[in-house]
This record gives sequence, C-alpha cells and structure tokens, in this order.
Amino acid sequence: MTRRYETVYIFDSALEEPQVNEKLERFHALITKDSKGTVGNVAHWGKRTLTYRLKKKDTGYYVVVQFETEPALLPEYERALKLDESLLRFLTVVNEGEPPKPVEAPVIAALEEELGEDEEA
Amino acid sequence: MRRPAKTCPVCESGARVLDYKDERTLGRFLTERGKILPSRLSGMCARHQRQLATAIKRARQLALLPYIKGYGG
Repeated sequence: MTRRYETVYIFDSALEEPQVNEKLERFHALITKDSKGTVGNVAHWGKRTLTYRLKKKDTGYYVVVQFETEPALLPEYERALKLDESLLRFLTVVNEGEPPKPVEAPVIAALEEELGEDEEA
Repeated sequence: MRRPAKTCPVCESGARVLDYKDERTLGRFLTERGKILPSRLSGMCARHQRQLATAIKRARQLALLPYIKGYGG
C-alpha cells in the first residue's frame, strides 16, 4: 500500500540548481527503492526570502515535490534529509484527496473584500 | 446591536481546502503581529478555521509566514 506525500525542501541558497537536482536525485532514490514508489511533480520555486533566519541564512532555495511511496520507506528518507547540512529545513505531509492547486485570483479578491470589512469593525 | 452572521470566505470562494504553501492568502488571516485571526474576525466556518490554523502553522515552519511579525527586525 502506497500513500501520497508532499515534501517541501528549503536548501541553502548558495547551492546552484544542478547541485540541488543532484541532491534531490539522491533523496528520491530512497523513496523509489525497489520500485516501491514514484516521484510525481517536482516544482522548483527557486530562491526566496525567508521570513525569519534559518541557520543564519536569509534566503533559501525552495523545492516542492509530490510523490507516492510505502510509508515504511519514510523514516530512512527523513533521516537522510536531516543529515544534510545544506538542507535548511524540510516538511513532509500526507497529500490526501485531490492534489492541491493554487488558489485563483478571484478567490484572493473575495478574501480581501471580506477582510477589509473586518478591519473597519 | 448584533452584526449579521458572516459567511465563510473559503466556502464562498468555492475552495474546499486551504493550501499551506499559499502564503499570500494565509497572510490575510493574521493580525499585524502575526497571530492567527479568531474565527470571530475571520468569519470562517469551523471546518475551514481548523484548516486555516493547520495551514498557517505549516507555513510558519517553512519560513513562509512569521511566528511573530515586527520583532527584532
């Protein structure tokens, strides 16, 4: 039984894309071992400013990956992530139901309207 | 005077789930210090308020949203 997961990686922004890809390949080998899992969408957000400092860095290189794997393979995978010094932080969550899609523009406009009202109150 | 009941902004928008990676939308539901707005102010239904709390906490872990805004610099 495989489950769907999603991991967000924050790499040190000193790394360039080829280095990041090489690391990703190494990590993903752990979750696709013995063809027990598949890696789906890999989205590079690129360099972004962090809202607070991580390991004394102000920027990070974000990558979001969706994948499917055996839950039993996760502990080893997460251990490998923890040991990597150039990975500032990561978060793995279960990705159930439909794959999350970005909220469309009209939605944001609606939320703004709603909140504008609240601030006056 | 009682204010008329608010409708949940997430239900209204038609979205079923809140994405923790969408920090622009989540940021609308923070106070100026970075606290999560109570449902009294956000107007959210209970289900979406719970989703919102989880999503904001995840976004904070990923440094997409601050734990405290305007502290220390």
